Amino acid sequence: MLSIRDLHARIGARKILKGLNLEVRAGEVHAIMGPNGSGKSTLASVLAGREGVDVTQGTVTYQGHDLLALPPEERAREGVFLAFQYPVEIPGVNNAYLLKAALNAVRKQRGEAELDAFEFLALVRDRMQLMQMDESFLSRGVNEGFSGGEKKRNEILQMALLEPKLAVLDETDSGLDIDALRIVSSGVNSLRSADRAIVLVTHYQRLLDYIEPDFVHVLSDGRILKSGDKSLARELERRGYDWVKQEASAA
Amino acid sequence: MSEPARTPVTAQYREAFEALRPSLRGSAARRSAAFARFAELGFPGSREEAWKYTSLRRLENRRFAPAARQAALDLAVALPAALGAYRVVLVNGHARDDLANLTALPQGVQVRTLAEPRADDAVAAAVSRWPTGGGTERFAALNAAMSTDPLLIEIDAGVRCEGTLHVVVIAAGAAATMSYPRIVVRLGAGSLARIVLHYTGDDAAEHFVAAVVDVDLADGAELHAYRLQAASSRTFHIERFDASVGAGARLAVRDSQLGAALARLDLNVALAGRAAEADITGLFVADGARHLDTHVHVAHRAIETRSLQDYRGVAANRGRAVFNGKSVVHEGAQKSNARQSSRNLLLTPGAEIDTKPELEIYADDVQCSHGATTGQLDPAAMFYLRSRGLSESEARSALTRAFTGAVLSRIDLAPLASLVHDELDGRLVRLLEQRP
Repeated sequence: MLSIRDLHARIGARKILKGLNLEVRAGEVHAIMGPNGSGKSTLASVLAGREGVDVTQGTVTYQGHDLLALPPEERAREGVFLAFQYPVEIPGVNNAYLLKAALNAVRKQRGEAELDAFEFLALVRDRMQLMQMDESFLSRGVNEGFSGGEKKRNEILQMALLEPKLAVLDETDSGLDIDALRIVSSGVNSLRSADRAIVLVTHYQRLLDYIEPDFVHVLSDGRILKSGDKSLARELERRGYDWVKQEASAA
Repeated sequence: MSEPARTPVTAQYREAFEALRPSLRGSAARRSAAFARFAELGFPGSREEAWKYTSLRRLENRRFAPAARQAALDLAVALPAALGAYRVVLVNGHARDDLANLTALPQGVQVRTLAEPRADDAVAAAVSRWPTGGGTERFAALNAAMSTDPLLIEIDAGVRCEGTLHVVVIAAGAAATMSYPRIVVRLGAGSLARIVLHYTGDDAAEHFVAAVVDVDLADGAELHAYRLQAASSRTFHIERFDASVGAGARLAVRDSQLGAALARLDLNVALAGRAAEADITGLFVADGARHLDTHVHVAHRAIETRSLQDYRGVAANRGRAVFNGKSVVHEGAQKSNARQSSRNLLLTPGAEIDTKPELEIYADDVQCSHGATTGQLDPAAMFYLRSRGLSESEARSALTRAFTGAVLSRIDLAPLASLVHDELDGRLVRLLEQRP
């Protein structure tokens, strides 16, 4: 589904990704872990198409197409979803409008009919229940005045509604208390399926207690230094990141 | 003493005044005094502070003539959709009784033109009086000299007129006209009125409109003034709007500026009586090559007065806008509350908005706030919306609507609110389509 080859990217003059390789197949959950500044969020930004991140080398292929050639909205319509580390507050644009516009953009691309107001409301109510969100969210501004936990729940609500093929969750666990973490995780778990891939970008292994990954990768200084199964995450939690770097430089 | 030296520019207006004079009603001496004041002040020079960002050279160089009464009465005009239960229409400065709809006006509400000012009517004095001071005094004086059909709206004390009066001021036709609409509004104690001041017209020719609005609210009165400046894109519109608000009275202004080639509004509100209130919100859209200049001045002259000025501005292409908001809390106006906000959005490179909030306080027990911002659409919000599948133009238009929504939602007159909303949407779509 997603194939990243020798990816180099920089922000301004600063080189951040320095030859990253990653293969993600449908049905898999990958965790990208690494210390601060290793390039995790830059990777998420490259996949979503954020401006200001320059890809200088390498390729990203998504479902056989060059992902980097697409503007952000086309990536979204093709089924790529980024759950933001810091969801943006947009006063004056209400949640219901955004959810409906986003959903219909995706449906149109999939060749499905746009939902009318009643169908939309029924669907969104169902998904909101899953995220334990109150219906009053719908009439509020996008993320306006939301707590950290509410913002993250809203991200997963959007994901549940849009049913992406590839979901990239950027530090979705940061700033969550244990209850919110449970809700968010169960939302993500309910979306695991054989035709969907999920990439979790996280600093801590805590999230992985709730969402069990098939693969764990250690990202450091812009490259994936080590890959393994979920046991690697526990080892990282116990031993930190330094031993991976040492092991890599010894090799 | 000899007359002050006149430029060729005022000569054009003097010719017009001389030609018009025989047909003008009211005191000839006051008309002449008013014209003399205009001639004395002339057009603003480039160093005049009140005209710092707005040059009238373009206006000065154009030639206009007052519309002949019969021509104005005969002109076929497109009447905008009704925005109220009652209607009165001025075309190129002349009252069009054939287009008016005043038959159902309630008892205690008078709407008439001061074609024949009554000698015993104190209000008649307002016809040839002009507000002094400020950058637009010259045009108010010019208006006092040449206004053909001053309109007088009176609400008797205690009368609450719930139906809206739609005042339609049209500048139209194939001849380039100058016109001087004057709207005098007098609300008796405890009365209520809703008035739409709607400026519109066609672009068959360039027009110059110098309007005066003169409002007085007696104690406890309430006026909802909805202003819609939708002049043609070839019109020069200059307006002096003065209001005096009595004790416990309330003035709400909902201003929408969507038209004109060049427009200037001076809105001066005096909170004259205890607990008088002014609630002023507005929106201006300077797209194309439009130049919109707004000066709002609120004077707190009494104890416990309250004011809000909340303006949102949008500029695009070669559009340019100026906003100057000033609140003055005079000595003795204790326990007053003055709030001001000017927020501005530049949609495309090349557009410009100059904003200047000012606050002067001469009392110590007051609450005041002011703020001004000018910026572009937030790139983080743009990316967020696009990452959810919205196209760039959908995202831009959603964010622009969100920006203007805060003041649009204050227009509590449904047909006007939807008219402004739709017009704004149409402009946004065209604007976004033009982008490369």
